[in-house]
Amino acid sequence: MTTYASTEVALLAVALTLVVGVYLVAVADRLVAVIVAGDGVPIVTTLVAPVRQVAWLLSQSRTTTERPDAAGWAVAPALLAGLAAFALALVPLAPGLVLADPDTGFVAFSAAIAFVMIAVFLHGWSPNSPLPLIGAYRYGAQALSFQIPFLLAMLATALPAESLSIVRIVEAQEPLWNVIRQPLGLPIYLVVGLGVSFWGPLNLPDGSDLAGGTSLEDSGIARLLWAVARSSMLIAVSAMGAAGFLGGWYGPFLPGPVWVIVKTLILLGVILLAGHVFARVRIQTFVLVSWAILIPLALLNIFVSGAFLL
Amino acid sequence: MIDDQIVTIVFWIFSAGAIIAGYRVFRTDSMVRAAFYLLASFAAVGGILILLGSEFLGMVLILMMAGEMLIMAIVMVMYMMNPAGLNPMVMVHQNRVAAIAGVVAFLALAGVALAGDFPDKPAPDPPAATRELGVELLGNSMLVFQTAGVTLLATMIGAVALAGHRGRYGAADEGSLEPPLQPDEETEG
Repeated sequence: MTTYASTEVALLAVALTLVVGVYLVAVADRLVAVIVAGDGVPIVTTLVAPVRQVAWLLSQSRTTTERPDAAGWAVAPALLAGLAAFALALVPLAPGLVLADPDTGFVAFSAAIAFVMIAVFLHGWSPNSPLPLIGAYRYGAQALSFQIPFLLAMLATALPAESLSIVRIVEAQEPLWNVIRQPLGLPIYLVVGLGVSFWGPLNLPDGSDLAGGTSLEDSGIARLLWAVARSSMLIAVSAMGAAGFLGGWYGPFLPGPVWVIVKTLILLGVILLAGHVFARVRIQTFVLVSWAILIPLALLNIFVSGAFLL
Repeated sequence: MIDDQIVTIVFWIFSAGAIIAGYRVFRTDSMVRAAFYLLASFAAVGGILILLGSEFLGMVLILMMAGEMLIMAIVMVMYMMNPAGLNPMVMVHQNRVAAIAGVVAFLALAGVALAGDFPDKPAPDPPAATRELGVELLGNSMLVFQTAGVTLLATMIGAVALAGHRGRYGAADEGSLEPPLQPDEETEG
């Protein structure tokens, strides 16, 4: 049986991961951008840049639209940030260091991912403005398309564990990580993770081709909250990828928590790099790829993993 | 027991949330808002299911409702002459029939709740409940659920084929039109 850390410690760990993680995403995204562009790395500027942006957004005056759904507009960033915290609460950050390890952890995580589409749709729908609304509908199509490949790719990780508990899923990877046992799983999960956190090539709802999409009408603190919520979701997705496919805290030489951090950072780096290397995908292409390629691949992944376990 | 007290408090929060959100479904003036209130109501019911020890079913209910309510909102907006569902509109109709049906359904459910003979054995712990559910789905009830599953899958494939981009008479964005009945119409048009 796993011995769990106390609730207070786990709560502190999740809160700390989110706070540090959001700052890290802001810094790392800029660093990746300058490295990809081949410029010199201005370390100090990069470290201070998020703070400057926060200060600027906090001092910006709020604008509004004609007859928005004010409640929905206010709730959307809070919902997205809350979902990120909920999802991260299910991820073991070290052996026994998990805020909640329900026996249906995988289903709970999937429910959080499903509610992301509610948060993004609400965020684009409520300002009562055309481009955010187009972004909202785009994300509807995007989210409904990646939902099934996501569920199938994650479900395959539950097969060797014979449990839906995330901690059991990590423990089942002690002899062999899922990334080797199920080579199709992690690539599918990363594509879906880009979609969930609508980042880089899959930033279709908030893309610059819609002048900012669902966050076009956001200003000041609302824009800041939305950016924080998006970054938190990215952290949660990376951490879950590390737990589900890269063997969580298992690894040679280094202690468990360090491995969790290293693996999460690697996945985060891959996602951030994808944002600066790949062009934005058209929604039609993404929907087609999800239904016609990712679902069959994810099913194949499940069948092969299942066959090895028989 | 403090745990019992917390469970009781959370139960009442979820119950009140489900009822208030359910009431708001009919008092709001937008289809998208109505769909989201309904989602909130179902999520609260999912929370109650989890409190009752049916962890898996509660989680799955919450998971499924998110996608379903979004699809419902989009489809309702598509069918209604109401751009984006932000224009105010009345969400109730056939008030008398609806009121009678509501009262009858409430009395029937209240009758079951008051007169029903409920088992008083303690609920199994969540892992056991999840396992029993799995054994039931892939054991005695497998034929029923697999039949329903294959039927639903066939319906989904059919719906996707009907709504697909490539139609029988060409792609949707290139003017997918039936060929005319009379061959010479083609030269006229």
